[in-house]
Amino acid sequence: MKGFIEYLVQAVVDLPEEVRVDEEPGEVATTYRVHVAPSDLGKAIGKQGRIANAMRVLAKASAMKHKKRVYLEVVGEPADARAGE
Amino acid sequence: MPMRKATAPDPELRPDEVEQDHAEEPEVQAEPDDRDLAAVESIRELCEVSGLDMRPEVRGVEGSYLKIELIGEDAERIFGEHGRMLDALQFVANLIISRKLGPGVRVLLDAGGYRERRLKMLTDLAREYAAEVKARGEECEIDSLPPHERRIIHKLLSEDPDVMTYSEGEEPDRRIIIAPREIPSA
Repeated sequence: MKGFIEYLVQAVVDLPEEVRVDEEPGEVATTYRVHVAPSDLGKAIGKQGRIANAMRVLAKASAMKHKKRVYLEVVGEPADARAGE
Repeated sequence: MPMRKATAPDPELRPDEVEQDHAEEPEVQAEPDDRDLAAVESIRELCEVSGLDMRPEVRGVEGSYLKIELIGEDAERIFGEHGRMLDALQFVANLIISRKLGPGVRVLLDAGGYRERRLKMLTDLAREYAAEVKARGEECEIDSLPPHERRIIHKLLSEDPDVMTYSEGEEPDRRIIIAPREIPSA
């Protein structure tokens, strides 16, 4: 899962070598915190959070196979942009 | 604006028009070119890293769209059942492809017959709303849809002489408005 998220983020930013994904296992769900270069924040989030939301949906799709729950957060993304997931 | 009659038989609801729409598809079919094949390769890679059982198979070229079906147990069970997930995958796939290959190649993804079921549903919805617009002489709005689904409705209703369509709002909340067609002034 971490590799999949890294792949997705690296594919949409200008500085893929600056991408870091931290995995934090929790009781109900695993949280993935995505770090990108400050200049790439807009690329990783997209207009109205479209790109970050699509990546969240794809992380959920991949997690469905194993009946797991995942959260994906782009560090630096405004909290209200995540409503539309 | 005079009220339009909605009395049967409504020429709108002729089933042959739906089939006609399908029959038009082959004339815009073409063979995939090198850029298309590079796009397929991008999707194959995306499928591999997803950890899911799915792989792309090319189903043809329609206009500027490359039609790809995702094959495999997870493709059908996950993306074939959850349109939101299929649309997210298509959106990200197109984003990745346009970054790699530049503009011009776009993919339409399908899995487990989802698009066909959705086409039927959107066709029924568009015809039902169009009949309502004609009966009332007022415009109506369809809930937000992704661009490729709005395209289906615009195309379908462009064949209807009594209504016109346009879109309002910003993605991802862009909605189609169906309105009575203006009577051309002489």
